[in-house]
Amino acid sequence: MTEDNKLPATDRRDFLKTIMLGSAALGGAATGLMGKINVATGDIGVSQARAADARVKMAFVQFAPHTVSTAWSAGIAEVLATQQIVDYQALDGQGKLEVQVSLMDQLISDGTQVIFLQPVDSVGVAPSIAKAKRAGISVITLNIDATEPHAAHVEMNHYFGAMDIAKAMGDAMGGKGEVAILNAPPGIIIRDQRTNGFVDGLKMHHPDIKVVADQVADWDRKKAQDVLTTILAANPNLGGVYGVNDSMAMGAMDVAKEKGLKLVIFGNDGEKAALEAIEAGDMTGTQYTDVFQQGRLAAAVATVIATGMVPAGAFGAQGHLLMPYVIATKDTVGSIQPSQRW
Amino acid sequence: MNIRPATFALIVFFAAILAFFCIFAPRFATPSTFENLMAGFSFVAILAIGQSFPILTRGIDLSIGAIVAVVGMVTFDLSLIFHLPGYIILPIALLVGTLAGAINGLLIVYLRLQPFIATLATLATYRGLVYAISGRQLVPGLSTTPISDKWITGLENYYDVGGWLGLSKLIGMPWFPLSFFVMLGLFALFQIILLGTRFGRDVHTVGGNFEAARLAGINTGRIIIAAYAISGFCAGVAALLLVARLTTSTEALGFGMELTAIAAAVIGGVSLAGGVGSVFGPALGAFFLGVVLLGLTQMGISQYVQQIITGAILLAAVGYDRLLVLRRQRRVTANISQVAADG
Repeated sequence: MTEDNKLPATDRRDFLKTIMLGSAALGGAATGLMGKINVATGDIGVSQARAADARVKMAFVQFAPHTVSTAWSAGIAEVLATQQIVDYQALDGQGKLEVQVSLMDQLISDGTQVIFLQPVDSVGVAPSIAKAKRAGISVITLNIDATEPHAAHVEMNHYFGAMDIAKAMGDAMGGKGEVAILNAPPGIIIRDQRTNGFVDGLKMHHPDIKVVADQVADWDRKKAQDVLTTILAANPNLGGVYGVNDSMAMGAMDVAKEKGLKLVIFGNDGEKAALEAIEAGDMTGTQYTDVFQQGRLAAAVATVIATGMVPAGAFGAQGHLLMPYVIATKDTVGSIQPSQRW
Repeated sequence: MNIRPATFALIVFFAAILAFFCIFAPRFATPSTFENLMAGFSFVAILAIGQSFPILTRGIDLSIGAIVAVVGMVTFDLSLIFHLPGYIILPIALLVGTLAGAINGLLIVYLRLQPFIATLATLATYRGLVYAISGRQLVPGLSTTPISDKWITGLENYYDVGGWLGLSKLIGMPWFPLSFFVMLGLFALFQIILLGTRFGRDVHTVGGNFEAARLAGINTGRIIIAAYAISGFCAGVAALLLVARLTTSTEALGFGMELTAIAAAVIGGVSLAGGVGSVFGPALGAFFLGVVLLGLTQMGISQYVQQIITGAILLAAVGYDRLLVLRRQRRVTANISQVAADG
């Protein structure tokens, strides 16, 4: 203090200069030394400037934009946005395998750390997943598993849910009659899970119900209308239709409405439009999964992997997470809250 | 060899767009981007090279996407159901592709169908055939079994060309995929055929002026059938490369690819009016589309916007082609009136 008091007036400028330099140095230290976020230990010396460098890239390669994948993406984005350090983008696979593979290649070379993937084909994406793993990138699949093991798979409860659908459907049909399945194209594991679960469920709970048709309707409402019309021509006594997703079940609902038929129609997924159709009495039921929640859980897994700096090579076995579900019928659909509808 | 203005414009535009993304897209100027470009678009270039033959004869081949699926599924079945070795499957697959293309030509020549209608019909037929012969549907369990035959999966291979040439010491070099060399081979072959053989000249003549070609004694039917067969053959090659990349084939394989190939050919300066073009342009056109798509994705531009931009580029290419055609016609008209005035 005494030193300062002795400062002559002429040295004032130097003093100001020193203060300026000093604060600049401090600022530099803050961004350069203290700003580093150590994701391994959780030490945070927060500084906006440094945080930009430590950002983590994540991306979601969709099958194609659909109510389900859009809701997943909303759930994923919600969780990742809270983490502050994640850059997230959703990409459109255009329903084409070669597009997904090309997008995966780009993400791998782009330094992406976690890829959420909804494969177009379980085998076709396997080489890309292997490539991602070699680059240390963790892949988390949603709903559609891949034949190449990866970090984690978060799926709706396809097999057991479909068994419960079979039971509820048989109950609604009085335990007998003919049903048709509007199915997905082959090559995707969930097609088998959702079909086998349904067929096994019928065998177990309602052995007198016969599956008279099982045809591919490409997940699509319009296509399902055409396919069901053809099926009905060959099977006029059809009592029930099981759509492997809600879009196809709603296609069946359109046909039933148009022809004035009383069909027991079940879907799978539980999207908003299907729940409304159930409330209106146009559709009998569906397996409802909170898809927002499914996205949030996948994002939670991804965040733990990325901030724990777990590389893809560290996974001894693929993690597997099944979502809880509700068989939504006219009696139960009211329990699904507006905020859970997607 | 004279470089036509359309080709020259494409080269300049390609270089410009490449430079643009290298500067503005954050991680574009990296070896891995170019590796992805070669691996992801060589088969598109091969399809475009094939597509340029029908277009040169003033036709169009809409069925190549479906041919890709047929060849893919034949490969799938022969490998996973019949367990044939790859060295037998590969020639059969190429033969199937060539035949499927030749059938297009036969329909056009002998039934006198419009190429657009004929190939639209075979597009539907071939796609239906794929579902009928699909081993994924016929044999449960195969849909989740990868193809593991070394002859087929070996087509998806990468070579460290930069390392061999010693270039990697100077700059980061991408590894070159085998599909890129296959594309180069086909490009060289068909460029030589187009420019250096009588068949090549005849293709141009048939497309430029069918009546004159016929009167000059060219077997126009054979030329047209050959052009579509080449297109089918190229679709077969592309299918094999895709199957190797994916280790499987699906019923939807190649869906919509015909449009990308046609776009690449037109961007590459092959005139839809027939008779004008090479196979260099279409190959470059395919990679041009690739650069645009990869670059825009890296810049974080939405894929919907990308489709709009691709459409705009195509529109510009067609417009430029139209401009050149009109200018050519005007020149011809001017010449004729000049001759008439002189006479």
